[in-house]
Formats: sequence, C-alpha cells, structure tokens
Amino acid sequence: MNSTEAIRSIQDNIARVIKGKPHAIELTIVCLLARGHLLLEDVPGVGKTTLAHSLARSLDCSFKRIQFTSDLLPSDIVGVSIFNRQKQTFEFVRGPIFANIVLADEINRTTPKTQSSLLEAMSEAQISVENQTYSLGQPFMVIATQNPAEYHGTFPLPESQLDRFLMRLRIGYPAPEEEKKILARTPSLHPAEELQPVVTAQEVLALQSRADHVFMDESLTDYILSIVQATRHTELLSLGVSPRGGLALSRAAKALALVRGRTYCLPDDVRELAPIVLSHRVMVARPQGFVLQNFEHAERIIQDIVDSVPVPV
Amino acid sequence: MSLEQAFRISSILWAGVSFVALALGTGLPAWLVFFTTVALLVSFARAVGAMAGWFSVPQVVRSAVTWNVLVLAAFFGFVVESLTSGELLYAGLRFLMVLMIMKLFRLRDRGDYLHLHAITVVMMLAAALRADLWYVPLFIAYLALGVWTLFLHGMTRQRGNQPFTTFATTPRQQTTCPSGFEHGEEKVAACFFQMASGLALAVLCLTVLLFYALPRLETRSYHNDDGAVIRTAGFSDSVNLGALGPIKLDPRIVMRVELPDRAIPERKGLYLRGMTFDHYDGRSWVNRLGRRWPIRQTTQGIFALQGQEGGEQMAPELLSRQRILLEPLDTPVLFGAPFMEAVSGKLPAVQVDGGGSFYLPVPVANPLEYTAVSRPTTVLPADLHPSSFPSQYPEEFLRYFTQVPPTSDRIAALARTVAQHARTPYEQAMAVQDYLARHYRYSLALPVSDHTNPLEEFLFKRKTGYCEHYATAMAIMMRTLGVPSRLVTGFLATEWNEYGNYYVVRQQDAHAWVEIYLPHSGWIVMDPTPAGDENVASADGLWLAWTRLIDHLQLRWNRVVVQYSAADQLAIVQGVQTGGAAIGHKVRESFQILLETITGLMEKSVSLLVTATLGQAVATGFTVLVLLGLLRSMWLFRKRSQGKPLGMKEENERAGGPVTQLYEQMLSYLSAQGLQKPTPLGPLQFVNIVRHQWAEVSSMVEAITTLYCKERFGKVPLTLEEYDLARQRLGELRNRTRFASKSDLQRGIGAGNGI
Repeated sequence: MNSTEAIRSIQDNIARVIKGKPHAIELTIVCLLARGHLLLEDVPGVGKTTLAHSLARSLDCSFKRIQFTSDLLPSDIVGVSIFNRQKQTFEFVRGPIFANIVLADEINRTTPKTQSSLLEAMSEAQISVENQTYSLGQPFMVIATQNPAEYHGTFPLPESQLDRFLMRLRIGYPAPEEEKKILARTPSLHPAEELQPVVTAQEVLALQSRADHVFMDESLTDYILSIVQATRHTELLSLGVSPRGGLALSRAAKALALVRGRTYCLPDDVRELAPIVLSHRVMVARPQGFVLQNFEHAERIIQDIVDSVPVPV
Repeated sequence: MSLEQAFRISSILWAGVSFVALALGTGLPAWLVFFTTVALLVSFARAVGAMAGWFSVPQVVRSAVTWNVLVLAAFFGFVVESLTSGELLYAGLRFLMVLMIMKLFRLRDRGDYLHLHAITVVMMLAAALRADLWYVPLFIAYLALGVWTLFLHGMTRQRGNQPFTTFATTPRQQTTCPSGFEHGEEKVAACFFQMASGLALAVLCLTVLLFYALPRLETRSYHNDDGAVIRTAGFSDSVNLGALGPIKLDPRIVMRVELPDRAIPERKGLYLRGMTFDHYDGRSWVNRLGRRWPIRQTTQGIFALQGQEGGEQMAPELLSRQRILLEPLDTPVLFGAPFMEAVSGKLPAVQVDGGGSFYLPVPVANPLEYTAVSRPTTVLPADLHPSSFPSQYPEEFLRYFTQVPPTSDRIAALARTVAQHARTPYEQAMAVQDYLARHYRYSLALPVSDHTNPLEEFLFKRKTGYCEHYATAMAIMMRTLGVPSRLVTGFLATEWNEYGNYYVVRQQDAHAWVEIYLPHSGWIVMDPTPAGDENVASADGLWLAWTRLIDHLQLRWNRVVVQYSAADQLAIVQGVQTGGAAIGHKVRESFQILLETITGLMEKSVSLLVTATLGQAVATGFTVLVLLGLLRSMWLFRKRSQGKPLGMKEENERAGGPVTQLYEQMLSYLSAQGLQKPTPLGPLQFVNIVRHQWAEVSSMVEAITTLYCKERFGKVPLTLEEYDLARQRLGELRNRTRFASKSDLQRGIGAGNGI
C-alpha cells in the first residue's frame, strides 16, 4: 500500500462516521503525520470526540480516553506506584497516557497542575514519575477537546501548553444534508465502534517519516519565516509566533503536501495551514490590557497577515 | 595506503614529472627550480605523512585572502616581466611555476588538487615545445601517473564528496587505528596499479599512433626560438686570424653527417667545406667573391650547379653523397664535402657564391636536413709533370688568388727556401705543407696577440698556432710562389658514431685549410695543420661509447619524431597505397586537400597576426584569460565563504526553469485581461479563482500551474514533453485571450480574500 492509498483509506474510513467534514478529517491526518497533537475546539455535539475516536479506531493502535474533570490528578493520567504485597515492592501501574492515541476530553476542565502533567508527554513523548522516565509508545498523539462557549469552572490552557498543540481545529456545524444523514442513522451503536483498523502502527510511523522527507523549497522556508516575522511585528498581537510555531507550520505543510499526494510543498499549503497552526500560539493585544483566549479573533489576524505576505514566485 | 593518500602522492608525483620535463626543456632560472623542487619535496613528504606535526601553518598564511594577494602579485610580476623583457613564453612559464609553488603549499580540498592537475598539464604542454630525447621517458611516466591520478580521483570522488581531511590530521588517524581497521577506508591494491599502468600503456600506444597518423603542418614556429642558435666564427664575409680559437673548445654538436654510400669513415676524416676567402690584408681574410646568386631548382627538387647538369656526365661512382642534419647555426652556409655540386632537401632556395659555397637565403632556426652531392677532386697526372708549370693559369685566377699583403718579403723568402727543390706547383704545395706540419707546434692556448702582422708572428716568432695560422701561412706562401690558393673554413669531421654510422661534428671540429689551384686538376684540398692533440679525441672508453649511443638515439629521435613531417606521412600513406590502391588514393587525395586548406588558412591567419604584431595579440589574449580566471576564482571564493553550495546559480532562487517563465508569461496574459494574481495568493488558489471567474481557460491555467509547481517548488526536472505541453497550453491561452472580449470575464473584486 503506498502512502497516498494509505492516507486515502484512513480518510474514507473516518468519513464513514464523520459526515460532511472532509477538511477536518484531512487536517486531523495531517496532524498525525506531522507527529503533532490536535486541539479540537468547538461547541459540544459537533463530533469532536467522535472524530478522535474514529481516528484511533482506523489505526491499529491503542486508544485511551481521559475525561478531564476538576478533580483529576496527574497520577490519574500518567499512572501511579502501588505497593505489591507479594513482592514487597512498589510497582508502577501505567496510566492512560500509555496509549498511541490519547483523547483528553474537555481538557480545560481540569486544574493547571493536571494539565501540566501532559507537557512532557506531549513534547518529549516520555513521562517522568518518581525519578523514573518511561518512554511512550510510537506513534503518540494527544487529541484534546475543549468547549469555547462555556467558561464556568474552566481553567484556560496556559500558553506553554497551547504551544505544544500542532494545530487548533474547529469542526463546525455540518451542512443540512449531511446533518440529515446523521439523523437518519440507526443509533444502535456508537458509530465509531463499527470501524475496523485500516492502517497499522508501523505504517503510520512510515508515513510520518515520509512526511519528514517531503521537499520544501528554500523560498517556502523564507515565506514561512516572513509570516512568522509579520506576527511578531504587527500591532494587533502582543505575542508573536515562537520559533516552535514556525517549525510546526513547516512540518504541517509537509504533511499536508503528503496527504494531497505531492512530494513537495506549495505556498498554498502554508497559506492554508497558517491560521490553524499559528492562531493559538499568539496573544491578541487588547487596549484594556486584559487578555482573553479569543481564537477566532487571532485567526482573523493571522489570515490578514497571510493575505498580506507575498508568496514566492 | 588509503585511496586519498595515494591520490595525493600520485598528484604530487605527476606534477613533479611535469616540472622535471619543463626544467630540462627550458631555461628556468635556478632560484625557481630550487624553490619548486623544495615545494615538491615538502608536499611529497607531507603527502607521505613523513612530516606530520613538524609545523603547523599559521592561520594568516592559510587564509584565502593572503593567497589571492600573492597570486595577484605574481600575476603583476608576470605582466611587468613580459612587458619589459618581451619574452612572453618565459614570463608565462615562470608565472606558472610560482602558481604551482603556491598551490603546493595550499593543497586542501579537491579543487586545489584539480588546479594542480591543470598546472601539471599546462607544464607538460609547455615542455613539449622543447621536446627532446629525454621527453620520451618523462612522457611515459607522465602518462602513467596521470592515469593513476585520474583513476584515484574518480575513486575517491565516488566514495563520497566529503572534504579532504587536512594533512596534519590524516597520518595521526592512521597511526591510532590498528592496521586493517582504517574506518573502512578502502586501500590501494597492487592490482589497481597493474590495471592503471596497463591503461597508461594503451594510452601511450594510442598517442604514438595518433602522433604518426594525425595530419601535420609544416610549421615549427616554436622550435628552438629561444636563442639556442649555435654561434659560429669564420662563416661571415671576413675572418680575423684567431677567430676560430675559442670556438674550438666548444663540444656542442653542430651537425651529423651520414654517408649513404659507405658505412665506414674516411681515414683522415671528412672535410666539410663552408666558405672560401681569397683576399688577405695582413690581418684578416675577406671573401671578395662573396656575391651570391640563386640556383634554380630542378623538377626533382635538386639544386644543382648549372655547368654540371647538362655537360659532362659524371661517373656516379666518383660522386659522394652526404646526408647532413644541421643544427641551427647563425650562418646560412650549407656545409658539404668538397666540392659540392648539388643539394636537395626541404630547402626554400639555395644560393651559391664565387667560391663554390652554398648558402640558404637566411640562417634557419630549426634543425635542417639536406643531402649534398659533391665530387672529390684528385690530382691528375698532368699536374705531376714539371713541363706544365707555370704558364697555364688563367689570368683572373692569378689576379684573385695570388694576392698577398704588402709586407710579405720574409714570407716569400721562407717560401722559396722551403720549396726550392720542387718542380711543380703540387710539389711546392706538398713541400710547404710538410714544412709547416713538421716545424710548427699546434696549440689552442695562444696568448692574445697585438702584433701588427699575426702571420709573421706565427711563422717567425711563436712558431705555435692552430689551423687558421697554418692555413693562412700556407696560402700566403703558395701565393708568393705564384700558385693560386685560398683559405677555406669549415669542419673536419673525425668523430665517427659506430652505432648509427655517421659523423658527429662538433663546434670544436671547426677547421680552416687551404685549397690550391692546379692547372689541370682544378682546386685541390691541402691541409698543413698537423693532427693536434685536441683534434684527435682518442679517449676511447665506456663513457665515449655511451655518449655515442645516446647521440645515435638522439639522431633517431630527430629523424623519427621531430623531423617527422607531412611528407613522411605521405610516404607512409603511399606505402599503404600499394596494399589497397583505391583506399590509398582516396586517403591521399583528401589528405592533400586537407593539407592545402589548412596551410592556406594558416598562412592567411599568420599574415594577419604578423601585421597586428603577433606578440601583442598573444599577450593581450593571455592577460585577458588570466584576469578572467582570477575574477572567476575570486567570485567562487566569495560564494564559498557565504556558505552557499558551489555551482548553484543565484538566479535560481527567484526564477526556476523554463516552465516558470511560461507561468510568468501566463500571469501577464491573464492580468492583461484584468485577471491579476494577488501576490499573497498561492498558485493553486489562483487556479480556483480562474476557475470561478473565467472557466474557459481554467484547464490551461491548471495544466501550466501544475507543471510550474512541480518545477518551481518540487525542483523536479521536467521532461521535454511536459515542457512542450506547457507551451502548447500557453499558446491556447494566448489565442483565447486574444479573441476574448473583456465582457467575457465576470471580474470579481478582492480575489485575494475570495477563497
């Protein structure tokens, strides 16, 4: 199975569950291939969890779901050491983070302490517990969801945490026809449960390494840099994109090129991904001085910047 | 030995062979030879690894700026030298050597070695201008080393283009590694050298074949034009007594004489006649009959004296032929045994003077080969009979050849005493010759004389002298006796090379003798000079045999290689012709046509160049070339220092290949129709816009854009078909835009944000 077919089969598989959202599915796969983590942000009920679940089911990988609540503790995520009576020793019991695909549902509902326990896992694909370091399985991808509409009892994600998500994605409401199809479906089983894996973990790793080797022309690197520079110099943003943001954009563009069946990146890839990859990494400047996570606003600013930077010819 | 080390050593040896060839062939200054030798030895030692850690070159010396400044300085030195001395070739060679010395101290990466190789090749080419016998072994070594070096170059390059490790580190690496575990470095096996040497042999064979097969031109403009012409004395219109003295110590070879009709040397040696002198003023001889007139060439290419051609038919066995290879001399005289009647060879024109000497119009700067035919005279019996004496001399002979200087009474008295018993002129001559040979001592070690009459000084005071004194004395004594006589200068060949059966004539064989005229026999040769110690080089031995063998080889080299000419080639072709007549004919025909064309062209261009001063033209061209090279290398250096990969064009960063240009053309067509591509828009997005706004052309735009993206951002080289496709689509688009009215377009505002 070559890479295009593999990617196509994952897309088709997920599309059987998530109706009318090919773009969201494509970007989810891009995120996977770019070894990134995905932050799904939308109102409840548009299929965030289903999307994550379908992706996990489509890959022959382990999948764990963690429901983040305000009383969730770090040990609930990474695992805990338990005293074994027979052996008279402490044994580490691995938490749900030891899975290939981890769904962190409603991540902003838990305390910053617990949220931070994800940091090491997301950036280094390893966790440290009681002076012991455990490396996580590969591929490893965290799909987090959060609800922007509801602010009561939430803890906004810190910038450091946000920066570790490759892209922030909104799913949006489906088109009426698609919604009709959803309604017509027999609700006997969770739709994602019907899916069969189409790609093995090994194949996912191979795809990821292929995405690394997608060719990016030097002029496109310069193009990414000029977008990043523009975010740092605009008046509208109080915090521009970090170097990690530029790197993320480059990686995502390569993965998107691969998903679209190309061996090289185009300016279109960068343009398309810039708002999705960059908007959660910037802080919008407010005259009043109070800062609120307003991703829609940031997205618009990034889009304006992208529309003002000339693409290389 | 690792491949890289072998490559280094072989490169330096290669350059060394070239340098030796150049140093042998041309007069390089001693300091340059010394420095180059030192540089070669040092870099060889470094390449071998013998000098690891001896010294480390300071950073200032290593910096490229220093070297560029040095090269520029050397170049300006070259310019100044070539302008002041006018010797462009030598100045250029010196510049080349300086460049090589610099390169040898700066062998760092592959490029430096390539430069060294280029210098090596140029040096060998320059050395070929003076190709002599020694060139053969050097050329073989050069070929072998060249093949090795190129092999090793290719092999080291295949192993990956990693930069060379510096000399200082390599040996250390090798010493720390146990032998056999050199980081997986490949080693040079013996079979490699066998294979490379076999290839070198093949190349050599091919070279020889090419040398003899390639058409050649009769131009030898470069040969021996450096003033290596041998200076002679006694071959101008006057000769001072004592002029031959210093010449007679010079062992340089003047000519080689083969006798095609006989394989053994003459017992007394072979007289090679040069010029005759008829007037003696007491101090010097003058040739009053020196007016020359040209001899016509017969159809066979022989220049023969008029009287001998048609008249009395000579018995061929009386004639003697000499094949003479004459080195460049400063005199136009054509030497030959007495008395020359005809010459043939590749001679432009031949002149003869009243004394029977043959001349070229001008002295030639190249070795010259010709065949002389001469008829030796013997004393006829009539001249031995006393009754014929002395009335039968023609009047003009007496006027010309019995002239004596005013103060010659003592000499006349001496002559009468010596010849008192002689009854015939021949007997008188024999008496005088015997007297001189017996009573006077031969010596070259004569102090400088300020005597007003050197002849009297010789005859009565010193009684010591050399050939000129003897000959002058005899000629004047014969004249006082009323016998016509004249002085002849030339060479007396005594050194016989038994390997090649020819005479070797050296400068020290220069000689002067006497010819006297007998009423019946004509001119006969008399030589009063006794066989002096210097004349008989009887030091037989191994060394002499060796030098003769070498000289023989040298002559063969001249014959077979240097003198190898189009005529010889034609002879070979004609020889082949007997085998296959039709093919041979065709080859010869086309060959001659080719030759004629090329010679015509050459003549034309040479005449053009000569009018525009050849030297200036060459100097200008060379200067421009060197300047361009320097500029180029500086530019390369600048690029390298900026960390950009070599060979990548800067323009590439903006404009890609041909399809990118087509794409830009397409954009301009579209914008002419009001469909402008906003610069922040990606190419695919623009296709979408076109699709919405002007669907008719979207297929063409899409095709071109796809190819453009592939070429521009994918850096995928496009095939010719793809390029043609893009051009075709562009042509269609242009036709559409031409016929489209602007109303066809539903023009949209804000195309940039439209998607």
